[in-house]
Amino acid sequence: MSLDRFLTQVVPVRPKLYRFAFRLLGNEEDAQDITQDALMKVWDMQEKMAELQNMEAWCMRITRNLALDKIKARKYRMSDELDRAGELPATQQKSPHAVTEQNDVMEKVHVAINALPEKYRTILQLRDIDGHSYQEIADILDIDMNDVKVNLHRARKTVREKLQNLQVYGL
Amino acid sequence: MDYKEITVLVEKYWEGETSLEEEAVLRDFFSTPHSALPEVLQEAAPLFGYFHREAEKVWEAPPVKVVKLSPWRHWMKYAAVIMVAVGIGYALKQHQQREQQVLVALEQQELNDPQKALDETKRALQLLAKNLHKGTSKMQQLSYFNEATAVVEGKED
Repeated sequence: MSLDRFLTQVVPVRPKLYRFAFRLLGNEEDAQDITQDALMKVWDMQEKMAELQNMEAWCMRITRNLALDKIKARKYRMSDELDRAGELPATQQKSPHAVTEQNDVMEKVHVAINALPEKYRTILQLRDIDGHSYQEIADILDIDMNDVKVNLHRARKTVREKLQNLQVYGL
Repeated sequence: MDYKEITVLVEKYWEGETSLEEEAVLRDFFSTPHSALPEVLQEAAPLFGYFHREAEKVWEAPPVKVVKLSPWRHWMKYAAVIMVAVGIGYALKQHQQREQQVLVALEQQELNDPQKALDETKRALQLLAKNLHKGTSKMQQLSYFNEATAVVEGKED
């Protein structure tokens, strides 16, 4: 792979990789490091580029693997917010029109999603926030497309139950 | 679009049966506040509100760190190659030296052989001669004794 190809096809994906790494790792510094490492790895594996059908998915897969390795190596804790997920009192849902209440609702949704197992969470984010197709998600995670559908369904179901338990309604 | 259609879409969404386009419609619908939403939609509103907010978020990737690639970054590889080359060179040199030593030793052995053999033979013959001489002296003593006996016997005769 020439430097030109790297600059035109891989470097533009960088913000996406950073966002993906940030969601997985939960902080800027680690997300930066992992993005950088992923780009270096892509550069080192440039001979593979010719065989690839979806370069972006491949870059995202590398980023995810590196991020998961990091999480495993450091026994990462995403943030204390995860622990607070179940402790949020349901009685705070009385005035959904106030701005502070809206932020609170958003925070609860964020916590509920972050409390999902990594696979569910990643699939949900890739589909419902980033708008990736099932095939693209399957390529990124290197799994079967049916697995994507099944896991996405379970992820949505789990989030729904969590939000029902927390009585998070309206905006 | 009335709430009925959206309600159907939301139900499809929970079942995991919506297409990307339908999900975009849902995100779009929930991005603006609506009054008097039915309970099914109220339940989904926070989630889609969150999705919309996250999708709209501008992610500024930090500036790229410029990593200077030093020509010596692979120094261990170079060192290993040099070590292997030195090792092979040393082994070849040793081999040649030993071969030469063996050749010299063989030549020397060939040259020295006759002299050595002669010396060895002489020594062996000397030993033989010595042992024979021992036997001869004993025989002489015996012959003296015989002679003496004969003289005595002759005198008596």
